[in-house]
Amino acid sequence: MFDISLSEEHLSVAEMCRSIATDVLYPAARQAEADGSVPSSVWKVLLETGLTQPVAEELGGAGVPDAVTQMIAAENLAYGDPGIALAALWNGAVAYVLGQHGEATHRQQVSDLLSRADLRAGLAFYEGFGRELAEFTTSVTLSGDEVRVQGRKVGVPFAGTAEFYLVVGADPETGDVRLVTVPAAAAGVTAARGSGWLALDAAGLGTVEFDVTVPAANLVGGQEAGSAALAATLQRLRLLTAAVQLGAAQRAVDYASKYATERVAFGQPIAAFQGISFPLAEAQMRLEQLRLEIAEAASRLDGEAFEDHSPTVAAVVSYAADVAPEASRTAVQTLGGHGFIKDHPVEIWYRSCAALSTLDFDPATTVFSVAL
Amino acid sequence: MSLSFDVSKPLADYGHVLRDWSVSQLRPLARQADTDHVLPDNWRDVMATCPVGVGSPNIRNNEPPPAFDEGYWLTHLVIHENVSYGDLWVIPKMGNGIGHLVVEAMGTPEQVEKWYKPIAESGNVTAFALTEPGFGSDTSKVQTTATRDGDNWVINGNKIYCTQGSECEYVVVFATIDKSLGGKGINAFVVPAGTPGFVVVKPNEDKLGITSWSTSELLFDNCVIPAENRLGYDAAGSKVSVKGGQAAALTALSVNRPNMSMMAIGVAEASVDIAEERLRADRAGFSAQRWSVIETDLYRMRLALDRGRRVVFNAMAKVDGGEMDRTWAAIGKGFPPQTCERVVRRCMLLLGPDGMSKDLLLEKWYRDLKIMDIFEGSGQVQRIIVGRSLMGRIAG
Repeated sequence: MFDISLSEEHLSVAEMCRSIATDVLYPAARQAEADGSVPSSVWKVLLETGLTQPVAEELGGAGVPDAVTQMIAAENLAYGDPGIALAALWNGAVAYVLGQHGEATHRQQVSDLLSRADLRAGLAFYEGFGRELAEFTTSVTLSGDEVRVQGRKVGVPFAGTAEFYLVVGADPETGDVRLVTVPAAAAGVTAARGSGWLALDAAGLGTVEFDVTVPAANLVGGQEAGSAALAATLQRLRLLTAAVQLGAAQRAVDYASKYATERVAFGQPIAAFQGISFPLAEAQMRLEQLRLEIAEAASRLDGEAFEDHSPTVAAVVSYAADVAPEASRTAVQTLGGHGFIKDHPVEIWYRSCAALSTLDFDPATTVFSVAL
Repeated sequence: MSLSFDVSKPLADYGHVLRDWSVSQLRPLARQADTDHVLPDNWRDVMATCPVGVGSPNIRNNEPPPAFDEGYWLTHLVIHENVSYGDLWVIPKMGNGIGHLVVEAMGTPEQVEKWYKPIAESGNVTAFALTEPGFGSDTSKVQTTATRDGDNWVINGNKIYCTQGSECEYVVVFATIDKSLGGKGINAFVVPAGTPGFVVVKPNEDKLGITSWSTSELLFDNCVIPAENRLGYDAAGSKVSVKGGQAAALTALSVNRPNMSMMAIGVAEASVDIAEERLRADRAGFSAQRWSVIETDLYRMRLALDRGRRVVFNAMAKVDGGEMDRTWAAIGKGFPPQTCERVVRRCMLLLGPDGMSKDLLLEKWYRDLKIMDIFEGSGQVQRIIVGRSLMGRIAG
């Protein structure tokens, strides 16, 4: 039966995250960007929600919400600041993955991530080149009681500041998805932060190269880890980026819409001009569609844990990469010169939406299109 | 050939010289200018290396560009595109502002003699103050006032987004002498730097892009200037007949607009070239299917830039031919910037997260060129102008 009405829990998570977003994340956005890290007071607030790092109660967490709930949380936190939200969600993603699939070796790391507000773990996931999970070239090779990890990961959060990385790769013989934790200090791990980024600096992005050998016990889920289950978990993480983009773009559209009702030109608030209101309305139409598409993809992840959801998730990610930057662009354009100066926050969302689009971009899913 | 969409070989060659120069000399300063929000100390030395005249006070003693068959405005398009290809930091230093151009368009012969000609020779910077906190596109809402007091005018008000307003020899300020007259009460006044009451509140705004271009906030606080500084009027307050009046002056300014598009096209093309070079070097990393899409994308982006060039060249060819038409200029200003934003963004995406790294300039150009669809008449204003060419003033 078709039923997409949100539960009480969904609504209360949305409300709580929205209020943290506007009260805590938004005021810290500029500072986090300048510092290249999330202020510890903000981090502690996020940690307490339990929503950025979904871990089961028996492991000391606040429970694992369904994917729909977590996407709602991600969207609404990003409404405050996408960079801070992304940082928290990705650090939490490591706890989530280790909690879901890890064995004894990884329990301590989960516990540490839950209790230590200073602990950062870098999810070494994306490779660029539009590669899907099944095409990753990072190899994780088991040999006796050791694991060899070789590959280059881009868009890695907390590059250079993480205590350890959770590396996503593949067994070169079977092609099975493999996850392995690698201490940041291990010989053969090279993190490069570069000169900074267009946006999202709070997440401390960088490139990390791995040519390292670690104990076999670092293999998440051990040697018999189910590739399909790991893949499904990773699809959920991909979806988080789209949800963060949605939150940032929605904030930009909301901000610009309010501005349009207040700014007077040619004798009336500029919202009265269709040249102003229609582009914002069109942006909103696309964002509402994106919200539904994220919700459907998340609900499929919740319902059919062992199916291959990569085509569904790829489609969402690709749509978000297109519409979120355009929506934030419309927002800047609505404010005109005021959108271009940092007295207004719209420029952060403009930069962030474009930056988020580069993380998980597959050229094969869309083509370049002109504006006029 | 019945028509020719190609510039003459001498102009094309001149463009290539500028492009090579901008890449080798200007581009290396781009990141520092962006980070510091001010040009590096050696910017004059760097500009001085330009091997050809471009009509810039900072290059070869203001030597004009060579005379090409294409004429003044098309020549300047070629200059804008190829210089911007290196980076945009240089643009404000290419010319010397637009305040004196307003004097030339609106001033009496005496005012042109006094305020325009010395600037044309010295190349000193002049500024233009129109926008205020309360308005941008709707210029009838000028709140800055000019009040007659004996032989003087007293200016009071706030102006924002004045390019080089903090470093100019004088600023042309738009102020109303009678708010009840609406747009008709707005006049232009020359206010020299150093006049008591002319205060630079903020030398440079903190901006998304073009951070090294100084964008000043100015305050005029009981700023007293002589009566003869009101453009188009003599000291006694009588209107002096000038070439075409205010409307002609605004048209003269509006024809400069397609140059903004050319800057966007310059950096967008630079982005495509950089992206293509890096992508080809990394070709082995892409699947055959993705590589095919990438090649199609590169082709489509270049086609899009050619379309932008076509409307811009068309607009400026009309001006060179003596047709001062705001509609052609509006199409030339309105069409390319939004697509250029998409081109640079697509280039970043094709490169993955590396594409938005500050190790490359694409992310800078993505921020810089957002202004091209906003200043000198936003995209919305250009659409209104084109709409009115179709439907008259009822089009809004």
